[in-house]
Amino acid sequence: MAPAIETAALTRRFGDFTAVRDVALRVEPGQFYGFLGPNGAGKSTTIKMLTGLLAPTSGTIRILGEDLTANSPALKQQIGVVPEGMALFGRLTAREYLRFVGRMYGLDRDTAGQRTEELLDFMSLAGEDRKLVTDFSHGMQKKLALAAAVIHGPRVLFLDEPFEGVDAVAAGTLKAMLQRMTARGVTIFLTSHVLEIVERLCTHIGIIHRGELVAQGSIEELRERAHGGAGELNGLRPLEEIFLEIVGTERDGSEAAHPPEELSWLS
Amino acid sequence: MAELMPPAGVQLAAVAWLRWRIFVNGLRTGKSGNRSAGGIVLAIGLRMLLWPIFAVWILGPVALSGYVGWSAIANDQPMWLLALMTGIGFLWQFIGVSGSNIAAAMPTFDPASLLRFPLPFGRYLLLRLFLGLLTPSTVVGCLALLAAAIGVGVARPALLPFAFAGFGLYALANVFCARMIGIWLDRVLARRRGREIFGGLFAIVVVSFQFVQFGRVRHVHVGHGGHVPGSQQQSWIIATAIRSAHAMHWLPPGFAADSVLHSASVAAVAGNLVLLALWTALFLAGFGVRLHRQFLGEYLSDSLAPAARRSTTARQARVRPLPQQQAMRSRFSLLPALLRKEWLTLRSNSGQLMGLLTPPIFVWIVSRGSFGSHPDYLLSGAVAYAILGPMSAAYNVFGPEGPGVQLYLLAPLRLRDVVLAKNIASVLILAAEAALAWVIAVSASKAAIAPATQAATALWLIFVLLANLTVGTVRSIQAPRKFAAGQSNQMRSAPTGRTSALLAVALVLGSLLLQIPVIRIGRHLHEPWLGVWVFGALALAGAAGYAMLLMNVDAMMLRNRDVLERELCGV
Repeated sequence: MAPAIETAALTRRFGDFTAVRDVALRVEPGQFYGFLGPNGAGKSTTIKMLTGLLAPTSGTIRILGEDLTANSPALKQQIGVVPEGMALFGRLTAREYLRFVGRMYGLDRDTAGQRTEELLDFMSLAGEDRKLVTDFSHGMQKKLALAAAVIHGPRVLFLDEPFEGVDAVAAGTLKAMLQRMTARGVTIFLTSHVLEIVERLCTHIGIIHRGELVAQGSIEELRERAHGGAGELNGLRPLEEIFLEIVGTERDGSEAAHPPEELSWLS
Repeated sequence: MAELMPPAGVQLAAVAWLRWRIFVNGLRTGKSGNRSAGGIVLAIGLRMLLWPIFAVWILGPVALSGYVGWSAIANDQPMWLLALMTGIGFLWQFIGVSGSNIAAAMPTFDPASLLRFPLPFGRYLLLRLFLGLLTPSTVVGCLALLAAAIGVGVARPALLPFAFAGFGLYALANVFCARMIGIWLDRVLARRRGREIFGGLFAIVVVSFQFVQFGRVRHVHVGHGGHVPGSQQQSWIIATAIRSAHAMHWLPPGFAADSVLHSASVAAVAGNLVLLALWTALFLAGFGVRLHRQFLGEYLSDSLAPAARRSTTARQARVRPLPQQQAMRSRFSLLPALLRKEWLTLRSNSGQLMGLLTPPIFVWIVSRGSFGSHPDYLLSGAVAYAILGPMSAAYNVFGPEGPGVQLYLLAPLRLRDVVLAKNIASVLILAAEAALAWVIAVSASKAAIAPATQAATALWLIFVLLANLTVGTVRSIQAPRKFAAGQSNQMRSAPTGRTSALLAVALVLGSLLLQIPVIRIGRHLHEPWLGVWVFGALALAGAAGYAMLLMNVDAMMLRNRDVLERELCGV
């Protein structure tokens, strides 16, 4: 079976700045893939390219075995996205928005209506009938964006910081839903800065740093790589330590870059 | 894969429904919730007051087009029909490029956001052609062409079908041409350098056009050395247009006019319509080529490189220690810091800076005409014109901040200082514009402007500034609108809401009209200083009103912070 997501030498330049360089991703169907990296590492740029919203400068992208550039509209039917800025239509109600999205993905009127009601209920948004989306809290908007991303039953789901601003109860429900989806064969490609979430949900990890994919594999493989496979306790190390070990030595936040006397006025 | 695509009808109907719901929800509530009764009354009142004036701008060209269409046929003046088509086409495109289309102020959505859905390019092209079509230029252009066709039909009924076919196709060509220009302009304006160059070129074109209109020639040569009778009074641009009319026959206005004028020959009509259709297709292709690049994921905005390069400098600056004394002192020098921030914002917006040059130039041009013979009204008229455009920014002072407004609400500062700094910045700009207009008007006036008139105008200006700052600040707090400067009219939102924009126009023009009875009564009573007393009193009232506003502005902002947050920091 073809990989759900596969890129080769994926590169994106903005002027003379290279945001993503020669990235070679491989995500198998049904994987819950966490895409990690410091701020500005190129995560969102990569997601935009993988979802067809941004053209790569060079390289190829294959989704479900098909070339994204050649089959972009048809492949978009197979994917769901929670983009960085959520891209909601603020002057609709949640019900109107979900129905619109359902219709845009080709659902018939009854199915779109039925799934809308189910998702509103699931996301605890059913009681917000009179409110426009623009008046929703950030967390409510995230839940709505996630509902819109799944209403058509996508085979690949791209989530850019999906839990940001979502309350703990809702986050738990959403995580359970996402895990259920992967169990049914849906591939999920997720970015998050909360490494605990990634560690709990994801089976495979890719780490991007300064536009380059510096590590990729299962969490166990990354643990081995980070510590050269040595040590009995290596298997218990949290993802945060592994992440910092892989990218931290090069980061501006290292001890050498910031001597203790810096910001000494902070009480 | 292709068989998985949703049906075209379903998607197009969904987008039409989306547009309808956005329109309906926009009527039901403002973005910030239910409108107050006072707000609705204000909005309706302003529209009743000012829309008749705007209606004249629409009905005037439409009626004129109908008349010219009729006259061209009835008086056997084919050149008039060609000139009419050229004029309509030129104004259609010019208004679109100049960004005067109020559609940008309508609550709508970015059509590019539809790209995440499984839309084939053809459907996306269709949607982009027709979404946001209801702009003044399209409405006036279509109505003018309809009126011209009816005019032609009234003059000679047999020509009506040809007029409908030719002018209808010409309308489509103009729609596509406007779309093509708009999308290529978006590409140019996406980069700051492009915006600066375009802003400069556009200002030159606008100003040059005024010079052309006023330019006179002594002799106009037609053909081989002939003269047009009475040519001493003819603008050379008209003479040039007449000379170059033959070239126009190969452009869309020529084909549109010729499809009516050559109706005696079916082959000629068909040929003209086919060639016009080819032009229409060319415009559509020009639009489609650029749209396809966007469809494939072209990134329009500025390069990220400067931001990446700046980070090193920012880090170097960060490590400099700030002495404790200096840190404490800075709490008491907020106003200069806030003013500096306003200056930095203005400095980075070169398009806005260049826009400030246009009103004084227009004042200079207009002052040279017959208006310069009315010293009583010239000065105040010139000053009012110069401040009218920049004034609208005072009605949405927090708009350009966007989510940055949260800093003001969070920081331990008096919001009064923030408002004061923004108003000082506005006053400095408006005063500079007014001073330039003043100098130009005084020097261009054909008769000396009396000291009493100048003093009255100065006091009127103070009143107008204070009144507008007071009302503008209230509107800025109660009806803010997120605004990104320096984008083309297809991408940007308007700098203020429509009610605020109308309010600014009404206040400036209303107070200007107040001068007429004051001057007349002053003359009747032989009291030339009456204006000084009247406008002096109004200026004092304006100062009192503004002082009251400043005293209450902290409370007002806190009362409206949910509105500010929702409007400026929301979706």
